[in-house]
Amino acid sequence: IFEKDSTVNCTAEVLYHLGNKNAAPDVQFTIEGELKNTDEADNLFYNRIKSLKNELVAENIPDSYGNVPPEMEPIRALAWAASGYVIWKNSNENTKYQLAQIKHVKQVKRSDEYLEFDYMILLHENVSQEIIPWQMTVLWHPQHGIEVTQNSRQPKHV
Amino acid sequence: MKLILIFSALFGAALCLETFVGHQVLRIKIKNEEQVRKLQFLETLEHLKLDFWRDPTKPGHPSDLRVPFPSLQAVKIFLESHGIPYSIMIKDVQQLLDEEKKIMLLSKEQERSTSTFDFASYHTLDEIYSWLDTLVANHPGLVSKIQIGESYEKRPLYVLKFSTGGSNRPAIWLDTGIHSREWVTQATGVWTANKLAEDYGRDPSITAILDSMDIFFEIVTNPDGYAFTHSSNRLWRKTRSINAGSSCIGVDPNRNWDAGFGGSGSSSSPCSETYRGPYAHSESEVKSIVDFILGHGNVKALISIHSYSQMLMFPYGYKSEPAPDFQELNELAEKAVNDLAAVYGTKYTYGSIIDTIYVASGTTVDWAYENGVKYSYTFELRDTGRYGFLLPSSQIIPTATETWPALLDIMLHVQQHPY
Repeated sequence: IFEKDSTVNCTAEVLYHLGNKNAAPDVQFTIEGELKNTDEADNLFYNRIKSLKNELVAENIPDSYGNVPPEMEPIRALAWAASGYVIWKNSNENTKYQLAQIKHVKQVKRSDEYLEFDYMILLHENVSQEIIPWQMTVLWHPQHGIEVTQNSRQPKHV
Repeated sequence: MKLILIFSALFGAALCLETFVGHQVLRIKIKNEEQVRKLQFLETLEHLKLDFWRDPTKPGHPSDLRVPFPSLQAVKIFLESHGIPYSIMIKDVQQLLDEEKKIMLLSKEQERSTSTFDFASYHTLDEIYSWLDTLVANHPGLVSKIQIGESYEKRPLYVLKFSTGGSNRPAIWLDTGIHSREWVTQATGVWTANKLAEDYGRDPSITAILDSMDIFFEIVTNPDGYAFTHSSNRLWRKTRSINAGSSCIGVDPNRNWDAGFGGSGSSSSPCSETYRGPYAHSESEVKSIVDFILGHGNVKALISIHSYSQMLMFPYGYKSEPAPDFQELNELAEKAVNDLAAVYGTKYTYGSIIDTIYVASGTTVDWAYENGVKYSYTFELRDTGRYGFLLPSSQIIPTATETWPALLDIMLHVQQHPY
């Protein structure tokens, strides 16, 4: 799993529905050991965004050269997690999706304690080689976790 | 007031550059002792400001003399009237100096380029094309640049030829950047070409290979696409050819080859990333390579480099039937990926295209194999999806460095197994 200095093994059983092609695959997984505790980093990020005067806006993460500014790493991690949900919902045995890039991200102001981000991401599908724009609305709170409240495939830019 | 005086004095001194305009260097053929004495006398005439480059010593030994323009006539009359034969070695000393200066400046620029070319960053098409010339200039006698054709948008398609001589020696073909968004491949191509040039004569393997074979290396195989990834869409894959009757542009150059062309591993839709094109070899970027390889007639290996996925593959992509040389190709692939992993631990999978990745029709590698090129391989370099096409430039050199032993394994095997 995605962490710089530590590797955690994860085994998963993925069942593709041959009958219903539109159903997301069944996934049963086991994580060997424990995932690193990120409470401190989560709270730091949460407070930083909460205290912003203006809503966060960013684009092209990573940029053309693969660079991700350090302060954008959590934004990227959030997108990675959220896209995992989108990918899971849209996978079948003939697809292999990866998050290619965050084209655009905009924070949406909320009156409650959650952070909300409106993402436009690009998914790379490895079999067709297509780059698919996808919109997703992501809700997050350090203690309550992540939720993708809305997501939709976007038309490809010709 | 004093300041102005000082400045003007310095200014004057700075402008007082000695010039050799019109000065000539004469080669004087001394026939006897008397002529030696006459020349020695000439030397004493200080007002002539003569500069002997080679002193008059004895008969049979020429003397070289630089004569300032104002003294030319006098000196020539002196020599002629005394029957001393001479010839003009340098007609205008200043001209020679100016040319020399130009050459020095040029080589300084080139020196700057080779030592300042940053292999650890991504470059524009112009920068890479200009670097090709630098490489050739720095390794004359080993590397030359040839043009095999033009892209759709009329950009030159350049191939570097590495050769130590011979006539139509068995050759290895390498290409990077056929899919323009795979930036780590063009970058690896530049590093690798440089490595080939630098290591010839130093590394025994490369020396053995280049002493009996030629290497042809096309670094930017899809220049139109590459330019487009810089100017407009970083994730552009295909060529930039216009498709009749469609607003969608481009053909997948790795589905356009005449091997299983039109099969299920490619698309018939111009808007698709795997669009095969209207017919096989419709793309000039592809046709140019086809013509080159067939025209050459002695290409023994082809390695086409892509990213990403970390795989090393060989034919077939368009059918599941194993290639006749499957076993040998598979064993060599295994050795290569093991040697690659030995560098930084990067894990590659390997096998035929259809087994390892997916069905793909009309690929470079399948075409080469079916046209007499037994050792046809395709690499998918780093990574496995974390950055994908947007691989950070900090990974360029590690990627190139680890891929090098794998390339060497294949090339050595080819060299040691002539067919």
